[in-house]
Amino acid sequence: MRTIYKIAALVGVSVLTTSCFNKERPNYQFMPNMYESVAYETYSESPAFKNGKEGQLPAEGSIPRGFTPEAYPNTTEGLEQARANLKSPLAENEKDLEKGKELYAIYCSVCHGAKGDGKGNLVKREKFLGVPDYKDRELTEGGIYHVITYGLNAMGSHANQLTQHERWLVTDYVLKLKSE
Amino acid sequence: MSSHYEAPIRKPLVIGEKSYHDITVDVARPVEGRANKLWWTVFTIALVAFLWGVASMAYTIGTGIGTWGLNKTIGWAWDITNFVWWVGIGHAGTLISAVLLLFRQKWRMAINRSAEAMTIFSVVQAGLFPIIHMGRPWLAYWVLPIPNQFGSLWVNFNSPLLWDVFAISTYLSVSLVFWWTGLLPDFAMLRDRAITPFTKRVYSILSFGWSGRVKDWQRFEEVSLVLAGLATPLVLSVHTIVSFDFATSVIPGWHTTIFPPYFVAGAVFSGFAMVNTLLIIMRKVSNLEDYITIQHIELMNMICMITGSIVGVAYITELWVAWYSGVEYEQYAFLNRASGPYWWSYWLMMTCNVISPQVMWIKKIRTNIMASFIISLVINVGMWFERFVIIVTSLHRDYLPSSWTMFQPTFVDAGIYVGTIGFFFVLFLLYSRSFPVIAQAEVKTILKSSGEFYKKARDNKENHQSLNH
Repeated sequence: MRTIYKIAALVGVSVLTTSCFNKERPNYQFMPNMYESVAYETYSESPAFKNGKEGQLPAEGSIPRGFTPEAYPNTTEGLEQARANLKSPLAENEKDLEKGKELYAIYCSVCHGAKGDGKGNLVKREKFLGVPDYKDRELTEGGIYHVITYGLNAMGSHANQLTQHERWLVTDYVLKLKSE
Repeated sequence: MSSHYEAPIRKPLVIGEKSYHDITVDVARPVEGRANKLWWTVFTIALVAFLWGVASMAYTIGTGIGTWGLNKTIGWAWDITNFVWWVGIGHAGTLISAVLLLFRQKWRMAINRSAEAMTIFSVVQAGLFPIIHMGRPWLAYWVLPIPNQFGSLWVNFNSPLLWDVFAISTYLSVSLVFWWTGLLPDFAMLRDRAITPFTKRVYSILSFGWSGRVKDWQRFEEVSLVLAGLATPLVLSVHTIVSFDFATSVIPGWHTTIFPPYFVAGAVFSGFAMVNTLLIIMRKVSNLEDYITIQHIELMNMICMITGSIVGVAYITELWVAWYSGVEYEQYAFLNRASGPYWWSYWLMMTCNVISPQVMWIKKIRTNIMASFIISLVINVGMWFERFVIIVTSLHRDYLPSSWTMFQPTFVDAGIYVGTIGFFFVLFLLYSRSFPVIAQAEVKTILKSSGEFYKKARDNKENHQSLNH
């Protein structure tokens, strides 16, 4: 009988000490001395800023170190000029088709298809239609780069996801897909 | 009786015509009687001091260590000074109950109970400091090697501060067990004399059903001896470990191999002084002059004198080695102690610790109660300053002159120290009114060999039978 009481007491205590944890909320903390950041953390919210977001826009026209502003504007003329004149700045030893393939697989193939034939997963599942095959289009490296940077028609800009260097790598890979 | 041989040179340890019953009555009297006004006054003062200390500690923990007088150079000052001081005071209790037991010193029997109580209460005070001097005391449990969710992150066993944790906690628990086993027969005595059901209940719980059978006593003696054998290396190692806090460092003035024995000697020195302080008062207010005799005080004074001389030798050794070492930092550390901005604390320490025990060579002084009392206080002041001098003067000026600074305690430093003194006396005063302050069971074993009445009876008898003997 005594053992039963002891077990009951033990169970009771464990239930009591663990039942307060609500899965839908963060758990209780013991003395959270340095859990909360004193500094502004990236993506955090703070009333110190006008829109409450930590991520503030840089001043227009400012150029960060290691960045070159795009040579051609986001316009139809810009696209035409880029198609005609823009050349890849990558030297031969900087080209990396493997890396380009990886990036393509992540950002492009879901619509354009792994082979660039416009048969990506989203197209196959008919989420949307009208993705062209690379082989049906006249493509130059400058044009591809410009489209990745700014988007075209249904395609959005990928400048957020890919750096300039990565965009050139992907451009290379797209040209390779077209040639196959 | 006639077969008992006791050297006639030995003075009686129990004065007066005492029977076993008289001892019982004398020991039980403070417990069974009611507290007088004086007790309540002293208790109130101690309690107020204690509460002030609690407030200071709460303020420190709530606001931060910055409320103390510490700075970036001197990270340890009053906190560790008081810690070492209290631990040191505690050591006499174990020395009296364990080492003197191993040496079969009968005179320890009248004083060991209070000395052990003093040990426990002062180790409790000491134990406060390692916690409250932490910046984040609520994480103090991290010093324990407990399996945990940080990938089972453990402590580093190379730090003497961790050894302190083990030393102090072991010391407190062993002392407590040793003290309590000794208390069992005495609690049983109070239980059997209790009149009110409440006291009966309390003392029957405290005495663990002690019935005093032969087998019990046999095992009791064995346990006492084993615990004494364990407590003796413990008492030496605990203060050794405390001294390692300094001796294992690289600070000139701290990095010394002499610290372990020298700290232990200092601990015994200050501890015996504290026992003397307490017992000189206790024998008076509790009417125990027949048990804590002038001979007890004299013997304690002698131990103070011996350990004080050891400490004196250690001071000279340190000075000599500093000169002999040829290390300019070491030499400067001692030059700074003697003639730096804290010269007064060094010379106060030297006066209190080196000169005051030496007057004990004079029999008139060491058998004078008033003189013993004053000297015992002086020694405790001196030993506080010894720790202060070692800690602060070594820290405030060491390798880089650009880091030289001074230390100024704040009222919070002082408040905590006063608080621990108050807490100590709160505990000791409560103890002296609810515990048998003399180990009556032990004193009864020496009554017939060392009691004044029996000694005289034996002398008379031996004079009659001198031809046979």
